[in-house]
Amino acid sequence: MSAGGALRVADVLLRAVGGRTVMLRMPAPAVPADVTEQLGIATPAFQDLPLAPVVYRKARATVAAGKATRWELLVSASAVMTLVGSLAYASASVLFANAFGVLSDDELLEIVSATEEQVFGQPYVYRVVLRAPLAQVT
Amino acid sequence: MQNAKDTFYLTLRGRLAALNPARTTVVRGVVRPGILVEENELPTIAVLVDAFRLNWTALRVDSVGPLPMVTMECSIRYATDGESGNGGMDRGRLLAGMDAELASALCIPPQTTAKMNYSGASAGVAPIAMGTNVFWADPIFGDAAMVGERLERTATVQVFAHQEAGEL
Repeated sequence: MSAGGALRVADVLLRAVGGRTVMLRMPAPAVPADVTEQLGIATPAFQDLPLAPVVYRKARATVAAGKATRWELLVSASAVMTLVGSLAYASASVLFANAFGVLSDDELLEIVSATEEQVFGQPYVYRVVLRAPLAQVT
Repeated sequence: MQNAKDTFYLTLRGRLAALNPARTTVVRGVVRPGILVEENELPTIAVLVDAFRLNWTALRVDSVGPLPMVTMECSIRYATDGESGNGGMDRGRLLAGMDAELASALCIPPQTTAKMNYSGASAGVAPIAMGTNVFWADPIFGDAAMVGERLERTATVQVFAHQEAGEL
């Protein structure tokens, strides 16, 4: 199987197990030489970009007393590569590092980490660990 | 208080950029001097290395005198993993370089500057000079800490300012 074949198989599997859409919330690029952004006076605009197909790896989140709830999201590499290309980022890691969070069912989850699974040197799926807002910690 | 915080940050940013123009960082696609105030940026779990991260911690207000004296503590955290091309073996030297830059920037006389109000500033609109100054003490450097391959340190500096009438 080629790298492209693995990518298509991953997409088919993600869709077959109930693949859904989440939104990747990206801040607008900073304004050069604008001190008001650096002082927290001006805030950037945000845009929500669809990411599909994605699947939560487990139906149940990882829950621990006193800590924010965590989820693990499997994201289609083809969807990620499309966003990396259209937004002109250098790589998927830069895309996820710049993202403000993932909007899922009207809840904004923070991205803790993003790692890729590869075959023949090409990523076919990304594992994105998400954290619930601290306001929800009980 | 906010005006003093803003003035101190921009003064330190200017001094650090003059000392080492090559110390830069990229925030949301824009190259900036390698210093930021964490509370003014988007929250993130990632630690920005080879840059100075300011946090405002302790606060004390002394109301004796015609104008209240505000004492704020600024915690300046910085870390380095070393150059990947050198296998990180130069991380001690890079941290020492950051120590020296910060010490120079904070200890260059005068350790005071005019307080500015940036709340109405924007592109083409200058900040307003206020009637008092912001001044600061020498920094106190904490122990260097090893976190995996990362070497990091926290320095604290006390920043003083008079709270003017009607000022936030």
